[in-house]
Amino acid sequence: AAGWRTITAPQERPGERRSAEMKRLYGENAARIQAMETAMQLNFDRNQDRIQPKYWPVIPLKL
Amino acid sequence: SPRFIALCPTSIPSSAGEGACIEEEQRSRSELRERFLRTLIKMSNKPVNFDMYEGVQVRAKFGASDIDVLNFQVSELQTPIGVQKEALLRCHDMISFSFDV
Amino acid sequence: MHGWCERKPPEWSTYLSKLVKVTAHSNQQYEGWVFTVDPVSASMVLVTLPEGDRAHVRVVLGHAVESVEVLQEENKGNTLRLASLFLAHGAEALSP
Repeated sequence: AAGWRTITAPQERPGERRSAEMKRLYGENAARIQAMETAMQLNFDRNQDRIQPKYWPVIPLKL
Repeated sequence: SPRFIALCPTSIPSSAGEGACIEEEQRSRSELRERFLRTLIKMSNKPVNFDMYEGVQVRAKFGASDIDVLNFQVSELQTPIGVQKEALLRCHDMISFSFDV
Repeated sequence: MHGWCERKPPEWSTYLSKLVKVTAHSNQQYEGWVFTVDPVSASMVLVTLPEGDRAHVRVVLGHAVESVEVLQEENKGNTLRLASLFLAHGAEALSP
């Protein structure tokens, strides 16, 4: 009966950890900030997949 | 995550006084961050002028930013040698940027 | 400014709604009313309000900020105008 625990229990869900981090940083406003950030990042990721823009300039100006 | 470690308050609250201090920091961070996110949202689809290192100045239509403020997606980028239809700018290359509302 | 990026949010908050002069990399200077300082990148959002309804927004990346000088304290009229520029729901949405 103990066997399944060793398989499932240590599994960390990234979403949960991010929520905990957001809570620590933003307190009672964490959910609102996280919702805004998630929408923004989703939009960015979707564009990256769809458009695949190239860096300009190719080499960073400031190393 | 590395992002959290960079932003994380350095001390764990061990007394009521420190707890209040953490709360003030959270309130302050929330207000500042929300205002910044709203600034980025306001900038969507607007022409933006970028002042970059090495005296480079370019103009482009702002598309989107990642939440870590590392990369901007832009379109119709006017470079000194012509127009690039879609491009990714590194925020570390920038000194400042500006737009009208 | 040494350590601008390492400051804590309450320190950045003291600049809100004030008129500042920011000196950035290679002595570039920018003036404007502080709308916010991003706590992730330390970038400053400065707004100037020419006549009429228009506003000019300049964002100085935190890593390029060398010094910040306060020129004028906040005044209520400008604070409200700044807030209303960026908020779909009006100024009250920003207040805790």
